[in-house]
Amino acid sequence: MNIVVALKQVPDLQQIRLRNRQPVLDDVPLTLGNIDKNALEAAVALKEAQGGNVIALSAGDENIEDTIKEALAAGADEAFLVADDQLQGAESSWIATVLAEAVKKIDQVDLLLFGEGSADNYSGQVGSRVAEILGWPQVAYAINIEVNGSTAAVTRSLEDCDEIVEVSLPAVITVLSDINEARIPSVTQILKAGKKPKEVLELDDLDVELPDGSPVETISNLAPDSQRKKVVVKTVDELLQALAAEGVIRR
Amino acid sequence: MATVLIYSDKASMALELLTAAREVGAAAVKAVTINDNAAAQDLVGAGAEVFAIDNDAINLADTAAVASALAQAIEQLGTDVVFLSSNRRGKEVAGRLAQIIQAGCLTDVTALQSNGDQIECQRNALGGATVATQTITEAKKVIAIRPRTFEAAAAGSAGSLNDLSVEAKPSAVKLVEVRSKAGDSVDIEAAEILVVVGQGMESQDDLPLAQELAKKLGGEVACSKPVATDKKWLSEERIVGLSGKKCKPQLALLFGISGQVQFTVGIRDARVIASINTDENASMNQMSDYIMTADLKQVLADLNKAL
Amino acid sequence: MEKFDVIVVGGGLAGLAAAYTLAQEDLEVLVLERGDYSGAKNVTGGRLYLNPVRDLFPDLWKKAPLERFIAHEEVAMMAEKRSVTIRYSGEELRQEPYQSYSVLRAKFDRWLAKQAERKGAMLVAKSRVDEVIIENGQVVGVRAGGDELHADVVIACDGALSLVAEQAGLRQPGNPHDFAVGFKEIIELDPAVIEDRFGLEGNEGAARLYMGEVTRGKFGGGFLYTNKESLSLGIVVGIKDLMDGSPQVQAPQLLDDLKQRPEVASLIRGGQTVEYSAHVIPEGGLKALTKLYGNGILVAGDAAGFSMNIGVTVRGMEYALASGYYAAQAVLKAREAGQYTANQLSVYELLLKDSFVMKDFQNFKDAPTALDNPRFFTVYPEMVTTMMSELYAVDDGPKERIYPTIKKHLTIREMWDMLGDFRKVRKL
Ligand SMILES: Cc1cc2nc3c(=O)[nH]c(=O)nc-3n(C[C@H](O)[C@H](O)[C@H](O)COP(=O)(O)OP(=O)(O)OC[C@H]3O[C@@H](n4cnc5c(N)ncnc54)[C@H](O)[C@@H]3O)c2cc1C
Ligand SMILES: Cc1cc2nc3c(=O)[nH]c(=O)nc-3n(C[C@H](O)[C@H](O)[C@H](O)COP(=O)(O)OP(=O)(O)OC[C@H]3O[C@@H](n4cnc5c(N)ncnc54)[C@H](O)[C@@H]3O)c2cc1C
Ligand SMILES: Nc1ncnc2c1ncn2[C@@H]1O[C@H](COP(=O)(O)O)[C@@H](O)[C@H]1O
Repeated sequence: MNIVVALKQVPDLQQIRLRNRQPVLDDVPLTLGNIDKNALEAAVALKEAQGGNVIALSAGDENIEDTIKEALAAGADEAFLVADDQLQGAESSWIATVLAEAVKKIDQVDLLLFGEGSADNYSGQVGSRVAEILGWPQVAYAINIEVNGSTAAVTRSLEDCDEIVEVSLPAVITVLSDINEARIPSVTQILKAGKKPKEVLELDDLDVELPDGSPVETISNLAPDSQRKKVVVKTVDELLQALAAEGVIRR
Repeated sequence: MATVLIYSDKASMALELLTAAREVGAAAVKAVTINDNAAAQDLVGAGAEVFAIDNDAINLADTAAVASALAQAIEQLGTDVVFLSSNRRGKEVAGRLAQIIQAGCLTDVTALQSNGDQIECQRNALGGATVATQTITEAKKVIAIRPRTFEAAAAGSAGSLNDLSVEAKPSAVKLVEVRSKAGDSVDIEAAEILVVVGQGMESQDDLPLAQELAKKLGGEVACSKPVATDKKWLSEERIVGLSGKKCKPQLALLFGISGQVQFTVGIRDARVIASINTDENASMNQMSDYIMTADLKQVLADLNKAL
Repeated sequence: MEKFDVIVVGGGLAGLAAAYTLAQEDLEVLVLERGDYSGAKNVTGGRLYLNPVRDLFPDLWKKAPLERFIAHEEVAMMAEKRSVTIRYSGEELRQEPYQSYSVLRAKFDRWLAKQAERKGAMLVAKSRVDEVIIENGQVVGVRAGGDELHADVVIACDGALSLVAEQAGLRQPGNPHDFAVGFKEIIELDPAVIEDRFGLEGNEGAARLYMGEVTRGKFGGGFLYTNKESLSLGIVVGIKDLMDGSPQVQAPQLLDDLKQRPEVASLIRGGQTVEYSAHVIPEGGLKALTKLYGNGILVAGDAAGFSMNIGVTVRGMEYALASGYYAAQAVLKAREAGQYTANQLSVYELLLKDSFVMKDFQNFKDAPTALDNPRFFTVYPEMVTTMMSELYAVDDGPKERIYPTIKKHLTIREMWDMLGDFRKVRKL
């Protein structure tokens, strides 16, 4: 069984600072999306249970070769990368086109896993779009995946209910972070990661050309301007008095 | 502005989309329903021009089928702009539909405003650290709007009900079973006062203290994500934040919350925020009106006693 | 089980310098760093003297992410309500190669890590060494997160309070006398504002030291360095001094108070604190150095005690870089000899003795004791600033002559003490 997992290279959100409400992204280290790591873990768990091959797939700038090591250390067997500066943080439909073309180049994919949303953009589009381009069925928000031959039983978690569906393979499945706890690789695994096979393509190799203007334009991107009072209160009484004065509680 | 097509699998959210479309000044609104008579009736009651698809071969659990049905509706009705609800079902459909009709797409939109023929959408970016204002430059647009961003349209003069027939794609997804989630149907977004519990709470035995306080204040108990998903002390309905609810209470009392951005996006619109944390440098304190550096258990007990 | 030529514990300056040097000679080097990346959590005041280490890494400096070269040296003596600042701007400070630079560790260490990797070193971040593996009295490797990793030799570069040196029996658990704590903020400001406020041209930088009231008269001082787009502002104070003496001083409070001082507040106004950190600093001087080598192990950088606090200024970065380099040289020699016994590795100490590192420690061996004198941090700043206030005061009466003004503040007894104090300091 060949399982492909799409992982996005993102700036480490914990390290982003704000200056005059603008996010400062210079020098922020890159990492892989958190939920994408859950998708990888799901793939590795399936492989460990029933055998197979896990391929980490990513589109990003040249740093991706380095960043993907995290995935190779955490259990992916090989990496399939599309490296081009235009791809870092590119618009979802572009990324979807590139990833779908890449998947077509990988032999015999049975399962294509995504995170429910990327760590920085969190729009939940890319998986759905790729499924449409490939003409594959999809199930999003998975909290459980069981593969039985040519189908998979997937639990899709919605706001008010869980749906158990049977989907024929190959299929696209996007996972929720609740599906598992991603493992932390050991030093030896990290070291071995450097030696695992990586295929690195450029956009030209895929015969994909990105159109000129992006379908989505960003007019501004600012931290919300919230001025809070930041009054320190020492006692519960002081707190209650303050809240009563605000008119938010009755005393 | 252009005609807007709206669709949601939830009738209440479809009514919100109706309001949204009217507020941005849509020339006309066409509401599509799929195998849902009740929703169609509600929408007609609120004055919408409804196009009801009735086709048992379309199964809502099959996103490809739903997206295909909607794409056919768009084709037949000649609309370029689609509003969907950004609940999980809606978000899953959005990308697929956008791909079929070659549209630009934005999801989780928390505010929108028309500007000429552009629709400016706001959504959280960088995990919630920032709010981005974006527009779709493509003629075709799919916009998924967060539930509760708009009021549901009220009943008024009746609209119209039309049948729409579409072809069902052969399905590769079979619905085997539906399990409703453990029944906790709380609506923390509607609460005026929230008592929010974070991982600073050491023991589940302390939870009743928070519940007692919420009751005394006439509010609800809510929580950070790990309290629901890792510890499972409370239901996921009560999560505040990026992957939970976006709340705008009059008062939010936060107990043992560190203030990660994925949490704070869900509470930053509260009118008054008080943070109780043992760590005076907790980043939540920077975003609070009242800061108390103390053990949450003690403070909860004292508050319950004082009220 | 994996076996390497060398395992370096700690990817700070010492560790990276060792790894860079060894990888350059094609040894298989593994660096284990517990932080998210090198430099993520490392704390320094932020001033690196380049001259002593320039030649050890000749290819390294051209593209190094250094902030500003220090062209202005300043000392501010702070009394409770007044202060005197002296600014020294020498031509030699503005001549290339520049003597010293302000640096930001988050940038600098990350960059240095990349250079070491380019040379072939293997760096694994987010991995903490929990234990040293000793077989028959010889260090043979380490345990990290369940993994057992072996090597011919381990270099402990895990910073002050080194666990590795302690487990290998080279160091006693800490004595509070031998450590200071430092607190530091990085405050972002527009470069033009920085240049304006500190009177800097282009890429010039200023280094300002604060002594006196900033530490409530305790052993230590404050520092302020200008970076490209930020200021590094901090306080260093001896742990022992914090612990005894009443009222007890909360060290973080000292930094808060320093920021409130009008002289400082006007420099940082409008800036945004983007990083706050605290760290211990070994400062026992020569006598507190660890044993530097054992069977299969070497200790470098802060782990070995190679940082020096002479009251108002801390130096450690160049000692870390140099000791890492010499540790690597010792390993290369041991490799030639084909053995990694303590006896063989003792060449490390010889190399250090021949270098500026041990020479500095010899020269400054009395520094901590000589400066361990409250008068430096209380009486003198108060005296100097009071004199100044009177010199500059113009009251309604006639102005006093200068000499009596000074004399008024000094009794014979005080003059005598003062002479003694300065005699000791002259040795520094
Ligand atoms: C894509 C994504 C989406 C996410 N979505 C959400 C979301 O929607 N909502 C959400 O909440 N999180 C979300 N998270 C997780 C989020 O990043 C944080 O992990 C989470 O918010 C932390 O919860 P916390 O503040 O309760 O816990 P912690 O960060 O562990 O903080 C606990 C706090 O309690 C304090 N404390 C400890 N003991 C006491 C005591 N006795 N009394 C008082 N205070 C005490 C501590 O000082 C600390 O500040 C998401 C993460 C990702 C990656
Ligand atoms: C406030 C302050 C101001 C200072 N000002 C100056 C100054 O202006 N100029 C100057 O030259 N020096 C200054 N110093 C001293 C200087 O910063 C240090 O001497 C220098 O950083 C030492 O480098 P190092 O590589 O030995 O240790 P560190 O930089 O501390 O590196 C040790 C590394 O080991 C890692 N580590 C620790 N334990 C483990 C483990 N078990 N497993 C894996 N990794 C581990 C740590 O994460 C760290 O990255 C200052 C220090 C402080 C605290
Ligand atoms: N550049 C990318 N490379 C690989 N996978 C990606 C990329 N962008 C998005 N993804 C995948 O698509 C999912 C959804 O992303 P998004 O639509 O941006 O929320 C992510 O969780 C990833 O699994």
